[in-house]
Amino acid sequence: MAAKYTQRYESNDNGLRFQELTYTGNFVGLEPVPDGILGDRIMKSRAQSHVLEQVSEADVRVDDFTIPELNDLNNYLAWNIWDVLVMRATEGASGMIPRQEYEILAMMHEFYRWPELLRMTTDEVGVDGVIAIGASARQEIGTKVNCVHDWSIGAVGFGMGRCGLLALEVIEANDYIEESNTILKFMQRVQWGKRQDGWILNSQNRYRCQIHEPALLDKLAMLLERCEPGSPSHDQLIRFNAAAELLSFLDHFDCRLGLGDTGPYRLANGNLLIIRDLFCNEDAYHWSDVCDHENVPHCYTVLLEIDAEAMALEEIRVNDISTTFTRPKNYIPHVVGGAVLVREKWDTPMGEVYPVSIAELGPRLTGIQNATFKLYSKLARMCRRQLITNGMYVYYVGMILPHLRKAGTYDKACADYQLWEIDQRISNYYYDITKRGFAKTTVPNKIFSGAGYLPFGENADRRRSKYLWS
Amino acid sequence: MSIIAEGYNSFETDKTPEGTVMFLPDPKAVIGLLQSGKLKDHILLAEGGTTTFLAPALSMGAIGVLTLSGAPESHLGILSREFQIPCIMTTYLCDSDSRYVTGGNNGAHFAAVTAALNGKRVRLHCTDGDLGRVELLA
Repeated sequence: MAAKYTQRYESNDNGLRFQELTYTGNFVGLEPVPDGILGDRIMKSRAQSHVLEQVSEADVRVDDFTIPELNDLNNYLAWNIWDVLVMRATEGASGMIPRQEYEILAMMHEFYRWPELLRMTTDEVGVDGVIAIGASARQEIGTKVNCVHDWSIGAVGFGMGRCGLLALEVIEANDYIEESNTILKFMQRVQWGKRQDGWILNSQNRYRCQIHEPALLDKLAMLLERCEPGSPSHDQLIRFNAAAELLSFLDHFDCRLGLGDTGPYRLANGNLLIIRDLFCNEDAYHWSDVCDHENVPHCYTVLLEIDAEAMALEEIRVNDISTTFTRPKNYIPHVVGGAVLVREKWDTPMGEVYPVSIAELGPRLTGIQNATFKLYSKLARMCRRQLITNGMYVYYVGMILPHLRKAGTYDKACADYQLWEIDQRISNYYYDITKRGFAKTTVPNKIFSGAGYLPFGENADRRRSKYLWS
Repeated sequence: MSIIAEGYNSFETDKTPEGTVMFLPDPKAVIGLLQSGKLKDHILLAEGGTTTFLAPALSMGAIGVLTLSGAPESHLGILSREFQIPCIMTTYLCDSDSRYVTGGNNGAHFAAVTAALNGKRVRLHCTDGDLGRVELLA
């Protein structure tokens, strides 16, 4: 059977459905919205403004969004969150990390704290500087300025954070409009700088994240080693990719911030390339000391060359949380080439990023496995409160850490804005989130039904703020 | 073939791992299994569909996984695909109407599935794009 995935890029194609569920959100009474390309098309068609169309540099330079634009972004992000996360939401309790608890606290914390941090960063580097943060990702691998982090600014900090606070009934729909604008403008500018195709999300462009400059792609393609399925080198590459991906999840407290895919890029031979950053050692987190002890670098970048024809690929999505899904689901047996590169520290210059041959991955795989076991043992000894607090940091600090680092405002955020402190309101909410199933039932229902993303009032003043700007 | 349970198939594979189902209730049980040296004798059964709980077992070569919740889009679903470890998620018993409910009170459902599978010798079938099957072996 021939691959049909290129049909997905034809303008009138609606794509496949990856799930049976549908989304309603704020569109009660209208046809429910499915996942994928068709869902994106429907959501765009329901917009009241032009903000979901391809936007220009002049558009992203405008200081703030109008109320209709804010509401369109709110609705689209709500659908997009549902699209990428609704099936993941079935996974239940971790058995180890209280993830739902740390997630909701962190999201609400982000909505309260990020506006002043992002405004300060914009003040420091200007609009050009914010756009440049995104643009930097075009020429780098092993950078956390990537889909999931950029998406998180708007989808998590604004979308789900505001949704959680509304559900907790501590804010109202027309509160914090100015702050919402600050968060969403920052996201739009970073995403625009990164993508430079006018879209701000992968889902808006048929789940493609083809951001890297041709010169970088050419360099990377030259590093690909043949590894035919069933060969020892294929086994070695696949085991390494999986083990590094696992450690990247664990180091980020079972969240997707450790993984960053871009692509699919079409190679000269017709195969597809996925570029996968696996952040195995984030030095901002104290528990990463076990990774240091095993000489695990900040990031392993794994290049995966996929034979789409042999796979009879029907659709490939690199979604907005940086994860690749395909139909058929199992692309691993069709990986026919690969390479691994190392970025030792987050700020290692690109000129010092180096490749490791597949044949030499053995000792590095052992280091990853040792670090995984040590980190697991460390986490297993942490009490619930420690796990929730650390998980909050992974979200609240980790999601904007790459942008603050790139802008050079991280130290200022720590010293002048107490980045690592937890807002007293959030500290108090810690005791509320386990009551009446708030974290495990109420918030997930609000998020995944879409009923919790209340729109801003049509006549609301977009300058409305409850922030205590210092 | 006696199929006793089914669930979401994480990914399509011809692998048909066989082993005795072992329910792992907490991280201590995971560490204990690894230290016993018998990891590859067992099909692992976990309640959640998250990755961290089974992390070292996946890394050290688990042969097959069953979960009581989660989907292929869950972190464990993604990682099982990357490791090529057959994995059936949100497993339910074929002779029961009880099903997992997201965000619901699933305690009785989990207990029933666990009681029926734990300690049984099984083989996993994961060739179908959507449905994974658990065969009871004699």
